[in-house]
Amino acid sequence: MARRYDTRTTIFSPEGRLYQVEYAMEAIGHAGTCLGILASDGIVLAAERRNTNKLLDEVFFSEKIYQLNADMVCSVAGITSDANVLTNELRLISQRYLLQYGESIPCEQLVSWLCDVKQAYTQYGGKRPFGVSLLYAGWDHQYGFQLYQSDPSGNYGGWKATCIGNNSAAAVSMLKQEYKEGETKIDDALALAIRVMSKTMDATKLTPDKLELATLTRHDNKTYIKVLPVAQVKTLIADHEKKEAAEAAKSKPTTAS
Amino acid sequence: MYANPNSIINPSLWPNGPAPGCFFKFPGTNVTSTSSNSGIITRTQSPVTTGTSILGLVFDGGVMLAGDMLGSYGSMAKFRSIERIVKVNNATVLGATGDIADFQHLKAIIEQKVIDEDCADDGFTLKPKALHTWLTRVLYNRRSKFDPLWNTFLVAGIEDGEPYLGCVDKIGTAFSDSKIATGYGAHIALPLMREALEKKPQMTKEEARALLISCLRVLFYRDCRALNKHQIATITKEGVTIENNIELDTNWEVANFVIGYE
Repeated sequence: MARRYDTRTTIFSPEGRLYQVEYAMEAIGHAGTCLGILASDGIVLAAERRNTNKLLDEVFFSEKIYQLNADMVCSVAGITSDANVLTNELRLISQRYLLQYGESIPCEQLVSWLCDVKQAYTQYGGKRPFGVSLLYAGWDHQYGFQLYQSDPSGNYGGWKATCIGNNSAAAVSMLKQEYKEGETKIDDALALAIRVMSKTMDATKLTPDKLELATLTRHDNKTYIKVLPVAQVKTLIADHEKKEAAEAAKSKPTTAS
Repeated sequence: MYANPNSIINPSLWPNGPAPGCFFKFPGTNVTSTSSNSGIITRTQSPVTTGTSILGLVFDGGVMLAGDMLGSYGSMAKFRSIERIVKVNNATVLGATGDIADFQHLKAIIEQKVIDEDCADDGFTLKPKALHTWLTRVLYNRRSKFDPLWNTFLVAGIEDGEPYLGCVDKIGTAFSDSKIATGYGAHIALPLMREALEKKPQMTKEEARALLISCLRVLFYRDCRALNKHQIATITKEGVTIENNIELDTNWEVANFVIGYE
């Protein structure tokens, strides 16, 4: 019944909704999960890798995590081709700023700039919105470590921990309970990320080829962005499983025979 | 960026659509097109109202800029209260040699930048090196279009707690140093500044001021487009102070020994 109003993004529905934007968010809800956690000494990004087909020729180092500039990294959830256009533009915006001012673009300014473009696609030109939500992790000298999330509407917010993609609502509520503000260091954040991802991902068992982990930290006045190698992810998963087993053994009372 | 493939593929299928991998150009968004296409336009000017030397010196704890307040209309000393040194924000000062109109044009743009920054209210303020970099890009791009802004700029300020002094000229050559002078100052004052700095690399504020004043005096004696009315700007961690209308004592007795001068 409301179909007539769906065909153009520039049109409101009778109930005052922008259906195309909502449909875009729907598309993202079916995409691989991404989560971000802010620690006191850095930021963790975790992403579910969906393309695990053995026939894939490994062209890209990372499927969902992209470095934007010297001090920022992002992960994407949604339509991959749309995401490529946006990450390319984010990189260009960063470089233009660097060329003009000789210093790194402040994190929020980059996010805000792209979100203004995303919003334009919901209001002008009869184009559809980008079916991508992004998590941005970055550092600047004014606000330190920051985590932002943006969606197809062009809205963005700063977060301490958040999740996008498949099962994101469950992940966010889990993070709400388990995230300890001010007491979380990078290693705690990594462990928490694995815990949350194992609950939200489709797979029954977490394996390193299905999970991408990245950290952003600062040492000696320089930002270090690291996509964790497979070996390290394996170790972290193993640690998690050990802890899970210990928890299970504790809660289950010893049964006879 | 890339040639729009939509013009090669059947244009009626996706008229004015975005090229793959590129963003759609929304109509009405400001497109800066000063001239049509790549037709070379030679609009190199000759400057009209000009300012002469600006001197810049780094001292222990800050930077100092000095220059006179004259806008010369060719050989006529027409405008005698021009401020060629201006404050940008609490950490940055800009001084200009060359065409005053071009300087004022850029000054307005920079002032608007400071206002926009204030409105954004995100804690970020323009730092001297960032202003220097931006100015370099603007000047270089203008010269590349054969339409230069006929100035040499000195950017001075405190960058991350350390004094910063940078220079850019009309063709986009940029550098930074602890002592810079533009115009005639580069030939007359800079050797004097270098000599003094070699003897004492870390001057006090008072020593730096005395050195700049002695240089300004020499420039007034020797530069025919100079005026005995100066500005001195001092930038330290505490902030920016600009003194205007400074007049120096001069001694023209030597004129009596010039044969033919009565």
